[in-house]
Amino acid sequence: MATAAKVDEVVRGVLRDVLGISAERAAALDADSGLFGTLLEFDSIAVAGVLTELEDRLGILIEDDEVDADMMGSFGALVRYAAAKVAT
Amino acid sequence: MIGDYHWAGGREALLRFGPDHGPVVVLLLPFFEEYNRTRAFGVAILRALEKRGIAGVLPDLPGFADSLVDTEKLVLANLQQAVLDLVASLASPVFSAAIRSAALIDAPAPARWRLSPQTGAELAREIKRLRALGDGVTVAGNAVSDAFVQSLETATLAPGQRTVRLDSDPAPADLKLPGAPLWRLAEPGDDPDLAELLAADIAEWIAACAG
Repeated sequence: MATAAKVDEVVRGVLRDVLGISAERAAALDADSGLFGTLLEFDSIAVAGVLTELEDRLGILIEDDEVDADMMGSFGALVRYAAAKVAT
Repeated sequence: MIGDYHWAGGREALLRFGPDHGPVVVLLLPFFEEYNRTRAFGVAILRALEKRGIAGVLPDLPGFADSLVDTEKLVLANLQQAVLDLVASLASPVFSAAIRSAALIDAPAPARWRLSPQTGAELAREIKRLRALGDGVTVAGNAVSDAFVQSLETATLAPGQRTVRLDSDPAPADLKLPGAPLWRLAEPGDDPDLAELLAADIAEWIAACAG
């Protein structure tokens, strides 16, 4: 099972790869960093890419009715959501 | 060099690289928005193969790139037919290199190499997700019919001879390589180092098949 640190690392990697942000910007994300609604790169196509890459890399299934602005609103919220999915 | 090929539904353009003899690699790009995102990268792979003396062909697929076919009228069988007709038109031994969803249409090639293959069910799920997040109908600007999505859901992959994936992808593969999934980036990118590594692997694979 993936540890919390591993989930954090995977989410960071997915954001870097899908949004095309630099490794430095990805590394600088903290729990309060805004994502959806804050980062210009985070449009609806990017949302689909982030969700699908998270599913593939973490071996989880994300139901579309669980997707909302809150769970993608900040880096911390997205990591918490992904970690909870990995744990189930 | 720019050329073309004929298939049951019309004529499409293609790019040719390398010598006019010996084995030829038919590079098949993934569908919809991933097609445009991987085109420059695909050219880089074929140029790297050309440096190794291996011929390559990059076909426009019906519905994508400069094709006049409307994606709304497209079903998977059209794409499969186009590859079948293209492969039949080539005199040389054909080796396909398919990226992502193109693995769904590489069956006509007698030998199949794949980068991060995506199944029909996975692509159908992604299309539905893109539709739901977008305007409810199109996929990143492409009009995709329900018939196309249904044809994906029941599609199966022909057995592949070699599968390569990126380090970040936990799915099984014959080889894992470092690099970012260019097909996810909104701005078409390139990765010359990864293109070189992939060309080297394809060249070794072709040599092993011949041996």
